[in-house]
Amino acid sequence: MSASSPAAPASPVRALLARINLQQYVVYVGFLAIFLFFAVVLRDSGFLTQRNLVNIVLQTAPATIMAIGLVFVLSAGDIDLSFGSTVAVSALCAAMAMAAMPAAAFPVGILAGLGAGLLVGAINGVLIAWLRLPSFLVTLATMGLVAGIGRSLTQLRSIPVTDPLFTGIFGSGSLFGVPSLVIWTVVAVAIGHVIYRQTRFGAHVLATGDNARAAQVTGIKVSRIRLWVFMISGGLAGLAGLLYAGRLQAAKYTLGETDLMTVIAAVIVGGTLLNGGKGSVIGALVGSLLMGMLNNGLILMGLSVSDQMIVRGLIILVAVAVSLREKTR
Amino acid sequence: MKTTTMLAALLASTLIASPAWAQTIGPNGETATPSSEVVLTDADIAALQGKGYKAALLWHTSSDFINAVAAGANDEFARAGVDVVVTTDAGFDAAKQRSDIETALAASPNVILSLPLDPVTSAEAFRGAIDAGAELVFLSNLPAGYVHGTDYAAIVTDDLFQMGKQAADVLAASIGGEGTVGWIFHDADYYVTNQRDNAFKATIEADYPGIEIVAEQGISDPARAEELANAMLLQNPDLDGIYVTWAEPADGVLAALRSAGNTTTKIVTLDLSEPVALDMVKGGNVVGLVADEAYELGRAMAAAGLKGLLGEEVPAFVVAPALTVTADNVAEGWQQSLHRDAPASVLSAK
Repeated sequence: MSASSPAAPASPVRALLARINLQQYVVYVGFLAIFLFFAVVLRDSGFLTQRNLVNIVLQTAPATIMAIGLVFVLSAGDIDLSFGSTVAVSALCAAMAMAAMPAAAFPVGILAGLGAGLLVGAINGVLIAWLRLPSFLVTLATMGLVAGIGRSLTQLRSIPVTDPLFTGIFGSGSLFGVPSLVIWTVVAVAIGHVIYRQTRFGAHVLATGDNARAAQVTGIKVSRIRLWVFMISGGLAGLAGLLYAGRLQAAKYTLGETDLMTVIAAVIVGGTLLNGGKGSVIGALVGSLLMGMLNNGLILMGLSVSDQMIVRGLIILVAVAVSLREKTR
Repeated sequence: MKTTTMLAALLASTLIASPAWAQTIGPNGETATPSSEVVLTDADIAALQGKGYKAALLWHTSSDFINAVAAGANDEFARAGVDVVVTTDAGFDAAKQRSDIETALAASPNVILSLPLDPVTSAEAFRGAIDAGAELVFLSNLPAGYVHGTDYAAIVTDDLFQMGKQAADVLAASIGGEGTVGWIFHDADYYVTNQRDNAFKATIEADYPGIEIVAEQGISDPARAEELANAMLLQNPDLDGIYVTWAEPADGVLAALRSAGNTTTKIVTLDLSEPVALDMVKGGNVVGLVADEAYELGRAMAAAGLKGLLGEEVPAFVVAPALTVTADNVAEGWQQSLHRDAPASVLSAK
């Protein structure tokens, strides 16, 4: 038999590569590559210090929490543009509630913050799932609406958060030496991952995003699933707001404003499809850490602000291009 | 809007001017020290060089103004052999500013120059920098509860009162100290613009009895300046002069005057901007621009931080002078304020 038999594998390496689903690993490979790059280039600039690495996790904690919510929304075939503004309103509601009732600051702060987030999520969900309005337009509208409410709540003023229990649990505290923001990140990612991968609800979310009509036919209550994913996104935006308020010991209408694009990029780079049916909570975590690490490393490289933006944009472009190309094959 | 005016939203509770509008004073009533008195001596430079000191510039945003401030700071640090290892832009985001501070601390800067985004959110954010032993110099704004000497080296800011006063002086001179003027002020709770606008008005009322402010018009959206100016001119067609709160709305006022064929009403405004400067050098309606010395602000910030690093006494509240720019000194004025050449269009039209 000739050596040109079509059945013969081209090479063992290619065969191995063919077996591995590369798309799942793009974000991890990218993360590792960029980490190694900074570790070498910035070895004398403090990048590898434990404090700096912990800082990256702390700084990305709110974005990671938001990203988990977005994974659910995108996986269900929808999009949420309003979570950034929801963060600010949640933080402000929590801060105002705590200022109004200092005796019960901790519980009322949590209730007000999460309640505000869940309310925005519920409004989005009802409009999208039951009134069948497109999620892009609904959340574009609520993004502006909620941002406006955030601005008017306190006439643009910042509200201090002084309750030590609140700032400890949501900000600067730690348990057995582990900072609370790290704990929040780990817990939220773990719960999000389990719900996404191991529960019927998670499967239904993916089925809805893959093909809503088919999902409906198989008995999945698509409208309810869509309502829930927006509630999850809103609730997690509320939690992110609490984390910001705890970390800054203050709430301001600008919180979360700049997170929208970072979080969307983190989630997409992390392997979640924009048009639904596929995603990864762990990938979103790594994507979020990747974004935080990029910010951190580029700053420590001493680049000018304009150069930081250009390099960050190019790297995200490459990462998204690679991950999306892999997925569409 | 230029950054200096944008900053205003952030400043409201930190700096106050005396009721008599006599001068710019500090957040806790400190008297202002001119920035020209905060200078590194040769001995200071010698003591700083070769020590491997590092600096970080943690700005709140990016802009022409901040570029000029940073240029002043960078040059002064370079003179002292201090490396600027980190430059950041928080994009007006308090959370980003906190992250920027933490990130910068990994590079162990000895001096940090920054504009705290607002007193409340920045109070906790800068604590880490104080704990790390960095000398902090703030531009215009002070985190709540911070104490001079222990928490920060100095605040450096514009002489806002002088900016408004000098605008009044240049307009008054152009109309011979007599006549009627319109006052277009920034209708918002913005510290910087409020201070400058009120200083103009107070100076006209106190120093120029022959001049009467006959029309007052607040403006919040610079894009509406032309229509507001049209309305003002309709009711007061014989205005001798108009004060406009900053250069961007002055473009609109200028457009209104041009479309009315009005070549006699004089305009004075604040901050350097190419369109209004071009009108000024061509002998149009604009008679003067009053600017801050952004480059000098940066230089003084760096010098204050380095003096603090050397353990020297640093004044708590440092003020950089205001600068009146007219057609006669436009080239020098641009250099003095922003430390770069005036736009070619302005220079060639002279």
